[in-house]
Amino acid sequence: MTNDTSILVLGWIGIYAPVALAAIGASIGCTTAGQAAIGAMMEVSSGYGRFVGLSALPSSMSIYGIVVMFILNRAVTPANSGGLFGIGLLSGLAFLMAGIYQGLCCASAISGSKSKPEIFGLSLAPAAIVEGFAVFAFVFALVAAGGIPR
Amino acid sequence: MKYVVLMASLPPLGTLFEAATPPISRIRLESRLALLEAADRQTLERIANLIAWSAQPLERSDAAFVAEAHRFLATNPSPTLRRLVTQRLEMRTIVAALRRRRRGEAKPPAGEVWGFGEWVGLIERHWSAPTFQLEGIFPWVRQARELLEKDDLIGFERLQFSVVWAMLNRLGEGHHFDFEALIIYLARWSLVSRWSGYKAESAVVRFRELVDAGLGSHRELFAGASQ
Repeated sequence: MTNDTSILVLGWIGIYAPVALAAIGASIGCTTAGQAAIGAMMEVSSGYGRFVGLSALPSSMSIYGIVVMFILNRAVTPANSGGLFGIGLLSGLAFLMAGIYQGLCCASAISGSKSKPEIFGLSLAPAAIVEGFAVFAFVFALVAAGGIPR
Repeated sequence: MKYVVLMASLPPLGTLFEAATPPISRIRLESRLALLEAADRQTLERIANLIAWSAQPLERSDAAFVAEAHRFLATNPSPTLRRLVTQRLEMRTIVAALRRRRRGEAKPPAGEVWGFGEWVGLIERHWSAPTFQLEGIFPWVRQARELLEKDDLIGFERLQFSVVWAMLNRLGEGHHFDFEALIIYLARWSLVSRWSGYKAESAVVRFRELVDAGLGSHRELFAGASQ
């Protein structure tokens, strides 16, 4: 494999990395929160809908990943491969970790609010804060992508 | 991740001395524990055999018990669980020493394994010191000794429960949806269950069970003598 080909491969990895890594993070996060929802439903006799709804929150990472992928998607050249790889991989890692930890936040919120329904709204705060960090990564990936040559 | 369902299905235990009954019954708890895999159930049973009084067979010697504890510590990979077992058994060793001295043993037991952990030697060397020189490490020992001196056995029991509860809270930090969190939950549930279940009737039943177990094969002999 020549040097140019290696660089082009990095560019293609950069384009697909956000959606792939975000999908992994969202899957793990939704699985964790979903399991907590199932556990909570074993204990309570009502309010199932909000537990299931909350367990889907980490899926937003996939959406961010898809949008970043679309923004990065272009003809890969040696001139833009490095930028695509850097932004794609790092934003994808940010979505991956945010998805996993947001799932844990949601699981804790579900577990805590099952016996104290009045804290349900407040218990969402940690998950919302994690979402905020993912939004930072998302927005600045879009901003930085504007500087990558087409 | 496999413990998330189980942990989320368990109700919060609240505070130790306030609950009139445990928030989840033993039957429901055991049905939830059916979600555990065989290896986890085995680990749970090993820990219960080491730290739960109700799981202690009378015929097991202290030496066999300590050997089993060392086997567990050598094989279990979790630092939190190893600390849990170690701290509980060290506390039990100190309580045993206090009780032995209270019942008049002027010297530490000689030629037998009677305790567990790194403090056994220190306790033996300072047997006559009020707190075995341990109060710097275990501040509760002084209060425990005073309660025993006053024959305040309920206060003594309450103090032990408080110390173990605080210890479990410390060990549980950082554990929410893992096996350690489950073991700590069960240990705390056990405390709540025992404290809320302290009743004279239960004590009589337990006493009879112990007497029956102690009599063993001689029971029929005594039964025949009483006729």
